[in-house]
Amino acid sequence: MKARSGSPKRKRAARTRVAAGRAPTYEDLVQIVELVRSASQFSEFRLRSGDIEVEMRRTNGAAEPTPLPAAFPHAGEPVGGEVTLEPERAALHVPHAHADAENLPPGLALVRAPMVGTFYRAPEPGAPPFVEPGTRVEPDMIVGIIEVMKLMNSIPAGCAGVVTNVLVGNAEPVEYAQPLLAIDPRA
Amino acid sequence: MSVRRKPPHTMRFVDVTLRDAHQCLWSTRMTTAMMAPILGTLDRVGYDVINVLGGAVFDVCVRYLHENPWRRVQFLCGRLATPVDALTRGQSLYTFELFPDDIVALNARVLAGLGVKILTVYDALNDNRNIESSVRAGKAAGMKVNGWMTYTLSPVHTDEYYAERARELLALGVDYMCIKDPTGLLTPERGDTLFPAVVAAARGVPLQLHSHCQSGLAPEVHSVAMRAGFEYAYTALEPLGNGASLPTTQEIRRRALALGRKCRLDEPAMREASGYFNWLCAREDKPRGEVARYDPALYEHQIPGGMISNLRYQLQVMKLEHRLPEIMEEAARVRRDLGYPIVVSPFAQYIITQAVLNVVQGERYKTIPDEVRKYAGGYYGRLAAAPSAEFLERADIRPEERVTERPGEHIEPWIPRLRTKLGAHASDEGVLLAAFYDDALIAALRDPVPECRTRTTPLYELVHWLAERRDIGQARIRFAGTELSFAA
Repeated sequence: MKARSGSPKRKRAARTRVAAGRAPTYEDLVQIVELVRSASQFSEFRLRSGDIEVEMRRTNGAAEPTPLPAAFPHAGEPVGGEVTLEPERAALHVPHAHADAENLPPGLALVRAPMVGTFYRAPEPGAPPFVEPGTRVEPDMIVGIIEVMKLMNSIPAGCAGVVTNVLVGNAEPVEYAQPLLAIDPRA
Repeated sequence: MSVRRKPPHTMRFVDVTLRDAHQCLWSTRMTTAMMAPILGTLDRVGYDVINVLGGAVFDVCVRYLHENPWRRVQFLCGRLATPVDALTRGQSLYTFELFPDDIVALNARVLAGLGVKILTVYDALNDNRNIESSVRAGKAAGMKVNGWMTYTLSPVHTDEYYAERARELLALGVDYMCIKDPTGLLTPERGDTLFPAVVAAARGVPLQLHSHCQSGLAPEVHSVAMRAGFEYAYTALEPLGNGASLPTTQEIRRRALALGRKCRLDEPAMREASGYFNWLCAREDKPRGEVARYDPALYEHQIPGGMISNLRYQLQVMKLEHRLPEIMEEAARVRRDLGYPIVVSPFAQYIITQAVLNVVQGERYKTIPDEVRKYAGGYYGRLAAAPSAEFLERADIRPEERVTERPGEHIEPWIPRLRTKLGAHASDEGVLLAAFYDDALIAALRDPVPECRTRTTPLYELVHWLAERRDIGQARIRFAGTELSFAA
């Protein structure tokens, strides 16, 4: 039995002797590997138990750290075929747009975020924004999208008028009730 | 078609170890190289069918493993003598969006060309109009077609509801029918009435049961199904059964034998294959399936456990964690308002997100996500029940937003556009990948199947594992009549 050529990184002398008796099974293998792993902090290790005997010496006496378990999938990657809910980073950021909204002249109507989420100004990447400052809007007209837990929520203007300010940039995280746009209903 | 009167004598098995088992237990991370050495043994186990592909497997291959899923399917079909099965979500194929009929048909031709013998299709709304195009295309491509109906609990999902779905599948001309229980909600008591109703409606078409083990009841439910005349069980080899996965082949075999059924499964081959998968769990640090305890809470909200832990995390980020119980209660009301969608992707998410919006805004349906409106308007297919008056009033769905025809009808063909974009030399596989994914993901795929061994032994695995350990300078291992020593 020879290891696949190229896979061991260093040249090693290996000797295997298969004596008469039962052939090793996967159960033996799991047992041995667990023993080897559990002894990873020792520079020398010797064990005899039942029909298993293990003797090991590590390179340089000091054991290298055992390889980390294969990374467990992050939340957000599909698990079990379900679409998982992507954690929102929104609440971790302090949006700067609040300040801008406070400096607006009185009499403007503010369109606010219905939820923590991500604000999109256009229906899809690369498309022109729904509205720009100066756009005339009707109450039902869509002025932006808030993505909440991967679902898209169209945001209507809520009143007729002219958009005066867009207070949040495209794809920026927004807080609950954060002003998104200002509309002058008298214009 | 002959109507079968006596229960079938032989119990047949569909393997899910290479698909749903690792989807449920390993987040779908079993690679082709991990499967390759055991395929010969799997053939010897004596399964009637081996399922290798589904939406999550396709997607994880592309997004996370960077394996070309077509190459995996081709490799497995080439190595396995047992007929190979591929599962799609009907008109949505491997995703949750709707595709035009031309893409659905091309997908069936490509799968058949790679060696797939059975095409299994389902629709998450149980709207069988959404699998019509797949059934037609699958048959035209020379495959057998298997139609699933998805089980859920609600006042409208009665035995008669499922008998009606079975009659629809019969009319579509499927070769097999299956009851799929994605969250392990079936109980033996419900099986006592549901299974005979569906068997009668199927009029001799062989029936299959695909039930997950979250409630721990699935093995007993299988016994009920066998008594009712079900012919096929979907199972996974130990230790990749149980938990969120399906029952083990070993356990369902024992139950079949106890009920006087014949099984063609080979015990030594099962033991060897299970030993290999147990070793893979150790080598790859992946979990084994554990028998789940019965938990009545599962039946109250039906929300899959993974989704609840995810929701809890998100609410934590939004500093709303204390409102989780309120949101779960609201989720049950939202499900009723939306006409009892089955709590699977993507509808589970619609329910949860709408419930969060309702609770956080302090006003029900003040904001309704666009996808929820589309769902309620029939864009994805027919609803199990009409939405509630309260929801409809708030949603104010306009007549032009209502869809009554088969969802595939309102999508223009894509292939001409994709062929123009990709050029005349584009392969059918390439056209399909371009329909599903953006260019960057496709470019990252390693096209040939990664180099892999097609047979192995415990001894080989041990030598290889030790050789890969850089920290061991010298070792001598003696076990079971074998002595192994090496030095760096």
